[in-house]
Amino acid sequence: MREVDKMEEELKKAFLDMKRQEVIDLVKKEIESGTELLDILKACRGAMEEVGKRFETGEFFLSELIYSAEVFKAVSAILEPGLVSTREDEDSKGVVVFGTPKGDIHDLGKNIVITMMRSQGFTVHDLGVDVPPETFVKELQRTDASILALSALITPAFVSMKEAVSLLEEKGMRDNIFVIIGGGVTTDFARKEIGADAHTLDPTEAIRLCEEYGERQS
Amino acid sequence: MIKETMSRQERFEAAVALERPDRVPVMPLMTAFAPRSQGITQGEAWRDPEKGFKAMLDTFNDLGGFDKLYKPNLFWPMIGGRFCSSPVRVLIPGRQLPEDALNQIDERELFSRDDYDKLAALGWNAFWDEHYEKMSGGRPMERVISAQNRLLDEYIRETEIYHSQDISPLFGAYVDSSIMAFSMARTLTQFTMDLYEVPDKIKAAMDASCDDLIQNALDVVSKTKIPLVFIVLERGSGFYYRLDIFEQFEWPYLQRYVDAFLSEGLTPWFHFDTDWSLNLPYLKQLPRGKCVCDLDGMTDIVKAKEVLGGHMCISGDVPASLLTLGTPEEVREYCHRLIDELGRDGGFFLTTGCECPVDAKFENVKMMIDVAKTYNGST
Repeated sequence: MREVDKMEEELKKAFLDMKRQEVIDLVKKEIESGTELLDILKACRGAMEEVGKRFETGEFFLSELIYSAEVFKAVSAILEPGLVSTREDEDSKGVVVFGTPKGDIHDLGKNIVITMMRSQGFTVHDLGVDVPPETFVKELQRTDASILALSALITPAFVSMKEAVSLLEEKGMRDNIFVIIGGGVTTDFARKEIGADAHTLDPTEAIRLCEEYGERQS
Repeated sequence: MIKETMSRQERFEAAVALERPDRVPVMPLMTAFAPRSQGITQGEAWRDPEKGFKAMLDTFNDLGGFDKLYKPNLFWPMIGGRFCSSPVRVLIPGRQLPEDALNQIDERELFSRDDYDKLAALGWNAFWDEHYEKMSGGRPMERVISAQNRLLDEYIRETEIYHSQDISPLFGAYVDSSIMAFSMARTLTQFTMDLYEVPDKIKAAMDASCDDLIQNALDVVSKTKIPLVFIVLERGSGFYYRLDIFEQFEWPYLQRYVDAFLSEGLTPWFHFDTDWSLNLPYLKQLPRGKCVCDLDGMTDIVKAKEVLGGHMCISGDVPASLLTLGTPEEVREYCHRLIDELGRDGGFFLTTGCECPVDAKFENVKMMIDVAKTYNGST
């Protein structure tokens, strides 16, 4: 078995067994033995992809996504300083502007989805919570992102979501931006009223919807 | 209008007991909606309890009245008394939040992973007695106890006023489920990490805390004299955790809650936020016609009826998004469907899916209530 394959297998097993320390130890060992950082990152992304698949089939639950997302975050923190020069957006699956709209300060769901998205190769610009509509639009312009993801737990965020969509229309940007909403209070009914393109409460479905959008665009 | 032959309380009791009431009982879980509908800010209602109380009463009357009032005021914690949940920090409108914003919980770690051992040794109450001041940055426990007692006295006073007007608040006490209490104190993410990495420590801490949480709720009920305990459940569901976690960390304690409350003649009300579809079959192990399964819209309420019909009263679940963004006609259709599917044979309570949103349209909330008063199901 090739060394890289062996590493991928070991990392995947540790991820799927929900063994944070094992993953971290393996990553450190690989760094010390001179494995390319990008290869290590790709192996971790592969493991996260498998976590996502198992979630979609119902074998894993949200807790396993939460756990592995935290492990991935820890691994990214170890790898990222050395990856800066190689981690350009050229292999990015898509650029996303993400935030909790004005009127809402909840971010648990948002943070989980962002980590999952990053682990699957998306470039995500996280604007945090209580974000005004204009800030979303400015960030979309600045980053040239094609996806706007809005997460909410309470209904006052609907107004901001609607305003963000209206602002995109006003600026002539709406046709080029995929707007996806999620979070406890959102429904497909709300999606239609807000004028968003997609709605989901499922992190892996959010990724799939964004991937499908990317495929349609390319 | 359906001819009413029962009092509000009789109607509610019939629904819980799975009997067929004269009409489907109805209640929006109303708090922040009341000040908004009376044209005062959330900040005003929080600063001036009398204004908040009046807003609740006026909104109740403006809506034409309904069968239970969720609670008399809009504050958090929901009722005073000793910690029946984790002492989370609440961001208050006009103080930490804009004047007319909705109050929101500032979820952060209240104790560390190392503290599970201490909880296991001390139990819930003694742990917070020792830990609270340190955790809150020096706020003395005496001040908290005094505030909790004041809130509880206020709740009792308000309840008496309501009772004198034939309005009965829903719950006599509230208590967090074991997973809810611990998850809110550790945060969802950290608690989840703990479940995988130190499950035995959590288990020992929960074992030591359960009786205190039950007793705290019973102490509150002994003062409010309202025979219902509102059990806050969200984070133990199959939406978050596999069933073996539910079986170890939620279900045994929930059964202990139910046993304790039923033996005191109290109705356990399960406030099931998120999707509990996977967990519903467990509820069939509980006594028939004694508890309420309150759903927020994420659990398929029709499927819930298939599982629990004839065994447990179901409450729910007009969605917040529909009340905020929909039209009265859309609300009417939704409520008709609920009554057709769940309400015709009894054992159903028409309520909002979780709380009535602050920015719900008044006419939509009114429509929900009016449907219950005028529609008993299609023939």
